[in-house]
Amino acid sequence: MTVAAGVGYVLIALGPALSLFASVIAKKPFLILTLLSSTLFWLISLIILAGAWRAFLPVKSTELWPYSILILTSVGFQEGIRIGFWRLFKKMEDMLNAFADRVSKPRLFLTDKMQLALAGGLGHGLAHAVFFCLSLLTPAFGPATFYVDKCPSIPFFLISAIIALGFVIIHTFSMVIAFNGYTEGKRKDQIFVPFAHLIAALITLINLVPGGCNIGLPLLCIMAGTTLYYNWQLVWRRLTEHQTTRSSD
Amino acid sequence: MPPPDDPPPTTTTTRTSIIDSLGVEIIGVMSPVSICMLLVVLILTSLSSPSTTSSTSPPPVTAATLIYVESDSDSPSHKLLGAVLDAAAFVALIAAATFLLVLLYYYNFTSFLKNYLRFSVFFVLFSMGGSIMASLLQHFSIPLDAPTSFILLFNFAILGVLSVFSPAVPILLRQSYMVSVAVIVAVWFARLPEWTTWVLLIALALYDLAAVLCPHGPLRILVELASSRDEELPALVYEARPTDSSHPVSPPASTPVASLGSVEMQPVSEASNSNSSSVDEEERSPLVSSPPVVRENLSNFNHEQVRDSNNSNHAVVEMETGESETLPLVEREGFRSSSNSDSEFEMFDSTRGIRLGLGDFVFYSVLVGRAAMYDLMTVYACYLAIISGLGCTLILLSVFRHALPALPISITLGVIFYFLTRLLMEPFVVGASTNLVMF
Repeated sequence: MTVAAGVGYVLIALGPALSLFASVIAKKPFLILTLLSSTLFWLISLIILAGAWRAFLPVKSTELWPYSILILTSVGFQEGIRIGFWRLFKKMEDMLNAFADRVSKPRLFLTDKMQLALAGGLGHGLAHAVFFCLSLLTPAFGPATFYVDKCPSIPFFLISAIIALGFVIIHTFSMVIAFNGYTEGKRKDQIFVPFAHLIAALITLINLVPGGCNIGLPLLCIMAGTTLYYNWQLVWRRLTEHQTTRSSD
Repeated sequence: MPPPDDPPPTTTTTRTSIIDSLGVEIIGVMSPVSICMLLVVLILTSLSSPSTTSSTSPPPVTAATLIYVESDSDSPSHKLLGAVLDAAAFVALIAAATFLLVLLYYYNFTSFLKNYLRFSVFFVLFSMGGSIMASLLQHFSIPLDAPTSFILLFNFAILGVLSVFSPAVPILLRQSYMVSVAVIVAVWFARLPEWTTWVLLIALALYDLAAVLCPHGPLRILVELASSRDEELPALVYEARPTDSSHPVSPPASTPVASLGSVEMQPVSEASNSNSSSVDEEERSPLVSSPPVVRENLSNFNHEQVRDSNNSNHAVVEMETGESETLPLVEREGFRSSSNSDSEFEMFDSTRGIRLGLGDFVFYSVLVGRAAMYDLMTVYACYLAIISGLGCTLILLSVFRHALPALPISITLGVIFYFLTRLLMEPFVVGASTNLVMF
């Protein structure tokens, strides 16, 4: 509606991401590089998806099933990419450890690895927020606002900002969970991540129903909260275990 | 009884990890590039109001529109042909200017070149920067009167001239001025018509590749001349010095110090023509155009500074393939105490920084600015492409260890991503997100 509103929407979508960036990532240049490369990765996966779906667009917005197929394929593809990302991460970890041995410095700590995972996840979340929310926010800096037909109670920009916020949280922390899960080999964590992503994406399908966004938005926030909580429990457990194993020797 | 030392607040995290300082130089180059692009995008989006785009204002007559001026009514093939001709003419002009520069440098007209560059910086900051300032003032209706703005602009320009080649100016000021010059030139360049811009960017990337890597390319000759004379290049370069100035020159090869050791990405800014209707070659803005070159610098100590007995004038830096690391903090302290003269290191720590030519900054920003004229999604995609291209170039630099052009990879990736995003991704993402279906 004005520049103030536009900036407000940007901050709603990106506020936690920016504070995470400023407090954790900006201090270590290597994490910034990780963030940039994971953003690039997500962008490339999105381009591939878009290329695959180009022939079928535009999708008629009244029917549900094209969108559900779209979401299933997209989420499946992205989760597959996440495994590839994890393999790259392992390779990088080995390279860094070899380098650390060569310069006789300590190897990567657990907190380092978690921070790397966090930076990777934040890159994905940032890319989502920029491509799905920020790029459409340019009219919000002007004098008017916009409402979607299906959701006449909340301005479009606010909905997309809140959805972007939810997804930023989900992407960021599911990367940490996923990396921990793959490293430790725990099935529960490995299954949780694609599951959470899929459920969150399916929740946005509710927005296609007229008036559905009133239900969809809170559900999405609950999903984001669940991911956050799960991640918290996981990290707490890992760190206390690590602490006890280290102090015991 | 002396009080016991306070225990460190964090007992387990006092150990430094290797990822703490890895990649500082890369970030030191990427952040000014990002800031430059951000400023260009902001200026272009705020200055391009709907009224100016709908009116048919003729594009400025420049070196890049010598042969063909694009107008909306031409067919795509005609536009393409015209753009190619324009780009060819521009590249020829740039090549000629670079050869002239090399000739002058060869015959030791270095001080003439430096003064010419100072004049050009003044010209860019004062007149081109002034016109941008005027349009910004007008657009935002800022209440600033003419004499005050004239004085402010004049001061700004003079300070820029002073900071260009003198070593005594604080590095942050010099870096800011380099970025401002790049922003101003890029904003100016982005006013070119669309097809011409894209073809020009691709042509410049190819020219850069040729000029730096071919044995008789002008930039390669220039770089070799400068390194054989052991002087700094008389050109506009952005120097990303590390912020902690206590770096002594590392003793040759014995320490596991690896830094991307001064790869110089070379200079020059491009030739931009003035806005006058007479296409006058002499009035060309002094930013001699040669696309950037990356080179490994074997120290750039000033000649007066030959003090330290144990350190040679040439810092031999060891390269780690694919990774870069600055001196870890611990070892820095050690060096500091062991070196006999640390006071001058504050002023003459010119060995460790990556240097990137202003031409790079300008053309990256032109690409992103042109993407901004379409949509924000393309801006972000092109930004990521350029940054990753820059990262690749830096990594290649540490592998090859000689002059490398910084334009080709980034521009190629940027152009590819722009067209992919515009054609493929946008219908997909916009279609999904306007229906509030996201993943």
